[in-house]
Amino acid sequence: MTTTRRLAAGLCVLLACLSTSAPPASAADGPEQAPPRVELVLDVSGSMRARDIDGGSRMAAAKKAFNEVIDAVPEEVHLGIRTLGATYPGEDKRTGCRDSEQLYPVGPVDRTEAKTAVATLAPTGWTPIGYALRGADADLGTGEGTRRIVLITDGEDSCGLPDPCDVARELAAKGTHLVVDTLGLTLDAKVREQLSCIAEATGGTYTAVQNTDQLASRIKQLVRRAADAPPEEPAAVEGADRCAAAPVLTPGVYTDRQEFGQHRWYRLELLPGQEVRASVSVAADRAVNRDYGVLLRAVDARGRELVRGTDAGGGRTDAVSAGLRYPLAARDDVDLDDEELKPATTAVCLEVSNSFSAPASVKRTPGMPVELSVDVVKSPDRAYDTAAFGLGRGWVLLGVLTLVGLLAGLLWGWVSRWRITVRRTN
Amino acid sequence: MRTAHTASAARAARAAAAAGLAAAALAGTVLLGASPAAADGSPGPSAGAEEEAAPTEAGTTFRTATAIRQEQRATAAASLGDYLYWTFPAGAGQRPTVRATVTLPPAASRHGSSTWQLDLFDGLRRRQACASGDSTKRASADAESVTLSCTLRTVRPWSEAWSNDPLPGAYYLRLTAVDLPERDLGLPVGAEVEATARDAGGAQAHGGELTAPLLPVTRAGGIVDPSGTGASAPDADEAEDADEAADGDEAEDAAGDGRAPSQPAALAEPDGGWYGGWWSDRWAWTAAGGVLAALAGVAGHTLARGPRRPGA
Repeated sequence: MTTTRRLAAGLCVLLACLSTSAPPASAADGPEQAPPRVELVLDVSGSMRARDIDGGSRMAAAKKAFNEVIDAVPEEVHLGIRTLGATYPGEDKRTGCRDSEQLYPVGPVDRTEAKTAVATLAPTGWTPIGYALRGADADLGTGEGTRRIVLITDGEDSCGLPDPCDVARELAAKGTHLVVDTLGLTLDAKVREQLSCIAEATGGTYTAVQNTDQLASRIKQLVRRAADAPPEEPAAVEGADRCAAAPVLTPGVYTDRQEFGQHRWYRLELLPGQEVRASVSVAADRAVNRDYGVLLRAVDARGRELVRGTDAGGGRTDAVSAGLRYPLAARDDVDLDDEELKPATTAVCLEVSNSFSAPASVKRTPGMPVELSVDVVKSPDRAYDTAAFGLGRGWVLLGVLTLVGLLAGLLWGWVSRWRITVRRTN
Repeated sequence: MRTAHTASAARAARAAAAAGLAAAALAGTVLLGASPAAADGSPGPSAGAEEEAAPTEAGTTFRTATAIRQEQRATAAASLGDYLYWTFPAGAGQRPTVRATVTLPPAASRHGSSTWQLDLFDGLRRRQACASGDSTKRASADAESVTLSCTLRTVRPWSEAWSNDPLPGAYYLRLTAVDLPERDLGLPVGAEVEATARDAGGAQAHGGELTAPLLPVTRAGGIVDPSGTGASAPDADEAEDADEAADGDEAEDAAGDGRAPSQPAALAEPDGGWYGGWWSDRWAWTAAGGVLAALAGVAGHTLARGPRRPGA
């Protein structure tokens, strides 16, 4: 879909969207595409001295992996490096928990410079993960394009507050398409719990690292993922609590947030002869109870349900999704012909609801990420015969046709005979 | 008169015998299943020559799902607990089967058995039932790998909007561990998936056609400004043009612009096309029926009318 690979500057207004509906292919690959940005956040706390990865220290493994990654960064990716616990060796928690700095700014990578910067690192201080995540988010800046943080750490947050998992969810909820991937350099249960929570909250992944090669290849993979990401990030939208107040959407992908049990309404304006296709995914970005579901309904302006899509499930999941399509019949009645202008549009509302629930200890806000994808195509003109071209098949068909042919032949023969008889008698 | 009758009866019997033979011959070709559609639909030797390298990455969400072709063995390195997404195309009349093999981490580093699941969704992210195959399987604590498979129902070219029938377009597959020891999270695993499709044959040849296959939307959305007046309604023609252009360009894009194969927009049209062509063995059956009816008609006529030159 090159034709649709336009840079969407924020929430592009309808006219702007449609006027560029078919740009030439060259324009689509133009330089205005925001570069994918990745920041590696490396834990340089004292515990990185531990020598338990391939016989060397965790720090040595991380440095070796970083060098490989810096060599392999795709040209288009803007890479930055941030450290945490790299400078303050003291005991003061206040200072130690603000010890996170940008080692290499996010931008096109100068491989030599970046490697030199990494080489200077020595395991030192505390592990302020939450603080470092906020810093990394700021480093990546705002605007379009993929934004990814790769967090490499060997310990749980030693600062307590802010809780890194809450920070991650809060950053993800800002609607800046941030994904945090985490790599744990130890198999400790608390680290695993914290890092997988951070990853889950942002739609990222958690990896337990056991050797240098695995560390390097995984980071490379994550950086590549940023480069391979779809060119357009979904537009943010906030659904209303009822149809009449709902935002009017045009075809495209949207993100929203939805709390447990909340209903979100969106509206579409369709012309007769158009078919709406909508799909929705509600992501479980936190610990949820075992059973869950999602319901997507298309409702007309009077509140009558047109069609619904639903899915439910139980157990471990990342998202639950549903979809629907609804064709608006083409109308050619007289009233519409009288109008010289386009026929009036019909409002179709989409209602998204979920039946996720969670233990009382789980935070309710911000809501869970919702991805809504809307497309409008021409609807089929008519209902079709279920058989291909109305053709038949099978022995019964042959029998029936033969029998009918035989009967027709007999009838025809008798008629001919009767006519001959009549002619002869005359 | 009597002799004439006998002659005409014999002629009718001959015609009937000929009809029977014709029917048998037609039915024979039909039953042997040598339909051109089947020949077109099979991957055959042409697939090998210009095939690009199979993807070695998997997506992590519906939107970032890696596009694969049919008959392409895609691999991915991942962490235990990841949700891996791929998307493949399927056209009408095909019966897609997905096979996935997960290479588990060494048994020494694991802490028990895990359950793996393969979920399939259509282009609208509607869950699609596995008509056959093991889509969920438990891997014992010492297993080296686990193999899953899922065969969908036959893809129809058209269905009513209220039905959940599989339709031509993209299909998403999601591979993940749905149950695993918490301590095993994050361990390295390898995954290999392959989507194949079998021609379902004329019995499943359905009528109709969607105006566009169910393909994922990749462009960002746009909200209509509520303060706007008459101009706020979406323009049908332009919206349709955009869609048609997008749909039509799909295959060329995939082949032409050298985009990384992992991008979802690069989903190629399946070999037989989205709608599988016009041919099905129903044509042969119906034609055979027509021939039989004609022969039977001639036979019946001959039988009833009597000799051509009565009294001769």
